[in-house]
Amino acid sequence: MASKRPITQCLRCTGHDRIHILPIRNLMTTTSEPPPPPPPTDRSSSEDAPKQQSSTLNPFLVHTPRTERKLLATQSQYPIGSRRRRAALATSSNIPFTQLPYQCFQEARKILLEDRREKIAEIEKMRERIEKAQKEGTRQGEGEGEREHRVRSMRGRVEDLKVLADINDPLVKKRFEDGLGDMNKPIYRDLANKSWRNYKRKVLLQRITQMNVIPDILPFIDPSVSTSLVFGRKKVPHGEIVESTLSERAPSMELQCFDKGERLVTIAVVNPDVPNVEKDGFAYRCHFLASNVRISPTETGVDAATLNDESQVIIPWMAPYVQKGLQYQRHAIFILEQPQYSSSTEPPTPLDLVEIKKQARYTNRDGFKLRSFADRYRLKPVGVDLFRALWDEGTVGVMERLGVSGGDVEFKRKRVEPLPYKRLKGERFR
Amino acid sequence: MQVPSTGLLRAFSPLYKTTPCLPWTARGCVYQQRASFSSTEQRQKRNKGGQKKDPRITQIRYHLQHPLTPRPLRFSRTRYLRHWTIHRAWQLYQSKLRTQRERDLEKQYNTMHAACEALRLIDNHGMTTQDRARLGEPPQDEGGKEMGRLYRIAMLKHGVWDGVPIEYARIQTDSPGREGWNHAWTQ
Repeated sequence: MASKRPITQCLRCTGHDRIHILPIRNLMTTTSEPPPPPPPTDRSSSEDAPKQQSSTLNPFLVHTPRTERKLLATQSQYPIGSRRRRAALATSSNIPFTQLPYQCFQEARKILLEDRREKIAEIEKMRERIEKAQKEGTRQGEGEGEREHRVRSMRGRVEDLKVLADINDPLVKKRFEDGLGDMNKPIYRDLANKSWRNYKRKVLLQRITQMNVIPDILPFIDPSVSTSLVFGRKKVPHGEIVESTLSERAPSMELQCFDKGERLVTIAVVNPDVPNVEKDGFAYRCHFLASNVRISPTETGVDAATLNDESQVIIPWMAPYVQKGLQYQRHAIFILEQPQYSSSTEPPTPLDLVEIKKQARYTNRDGFKLRSFADRYRLKPVGVDLFRALWDEGTVGVMERLGVSGGDVEFKRKRVEPLPYKRLKGERFR
Repeated sequence: MQVPSTGLLRAFSPLYKTTPCLPWTARGCVYQQRASFSSTEQRQKRNKGGQKKDPRITQIRYHLQHPLTPRPLRFSRTRYLRHWTIHRAWQLYQSKLRTQRERDLEKQYNTMHAACEALRLIDNHGMTTQDRARLGEPPQDEGGKEMGRLYRIAMLKHGVWDGVPIEYARIQTDSPGREGWNHAWTQ
């Protein structure tokens, strides 16, 4: 009586509930664990009836056209999620993922939990050792520096163990992939770091190198902070050409750092391609300079417009402009970490902006040398981003509003006179 | 509507490489449609009208590009996560076994080394020079010969290569010798 493929038939016809001709077989586990507890009844509907006994329909669980129409009519709510998802949620037994009755999976979970317990025990042991090392002082034949090195290595090992304890957890992996990872925890920071370094950082480095940002403005950078640039509401990938009207307002950035603790950074936007016609070369110009910006793994957003003018902004934002006839001009955004004079437990010391603003070489836009600034205040470059500017129809307006003359100037290539061509004798050409 | 057999699909599911890139040493395999074990060219019967075709390969290629062949399966999210968990557990288990094996071997080697070292310092009365000095015994007049004698006997290499064929002593070279094969060689 039952057709050859009852389950597929029933999935197709949505007029009635799904018929369970074959009982859903629970695979026996050979583990000595007690059977998993019954699934929590956090959903109002049970397994077999999408039609509620009560009058309210759940917008997450209606999955027949009739009930969908009824939901819209009576509760004026649209169903949430695709129909396949709603049908799956309504008709499954809703066992939590970790309790799914697959034998191999449960055995694997057992092994991984055992490993996790071992890692946690090792963390405890390491912590005791660190405490002992700090209390007892130097060992025989060991200097103070060596003891510090020993403590530092042990601390590094504890951090590694913290990541190793959670790295085999499928729920951690799922949570991270869905973007719900808590950046205060080392495992999510580590996963985010790995995924950034796997692709996006490589692309960033390629663009920085190809555009020669790196030898031109600063000698070397090893990016450890992920940067993303947004002008207005437009996300700008690394190296893209940004319209003049769009870049008139200061951008907002998202600076994601992957090690714990908060730090103060300096953000500098430098244009190394300002043309200098007399010397037939280029000069630097600084479009933005701000220090003492606090970032941490959880506070990543930096909006240049909301920074404090007195204690943070040294040179306010100036719109990039490129006159007609010129090639694109690169604008590099450097994130430089300010030195932590004291140990990591105390808050970092901010730079004294009053003293910086007195110096003309760091307040003048033209001829701003980022190398000099970074060396003077011992800043370490940790992040970089890039966008380019080109002439477009809005540039004239931008330059007018800035009060910069030369909006109507058009650059042309200097005509190079060809070398005199001496016509050779005819015999040579035969 | 007949669905093509799933046996071929199972044998060639996307979990295995469908298009392996052959190294240049396997160039012979590409031009002759055969799935033999060795990659060296085998002599075939002279076939007029093209190369000899292997019907197995022809059938596989036919079915792979047939429009009724079902598309490769994809794992759902939870199925993939379960697979990933099992994979991680297996890899962890294997690496634990490996490190345990290596540690056992290392321990064995260290005990053997310590035993040999102790033997090296002992003479025929079982005393080292330190023991003799401590106990006040006179040093042996020909002590140099007896000290560590058993160690030297243990380190002898006679009969170590017994049972190993002499042909194993032939070292691998980058390029062949001037005479490729010495037909007159005997043991």
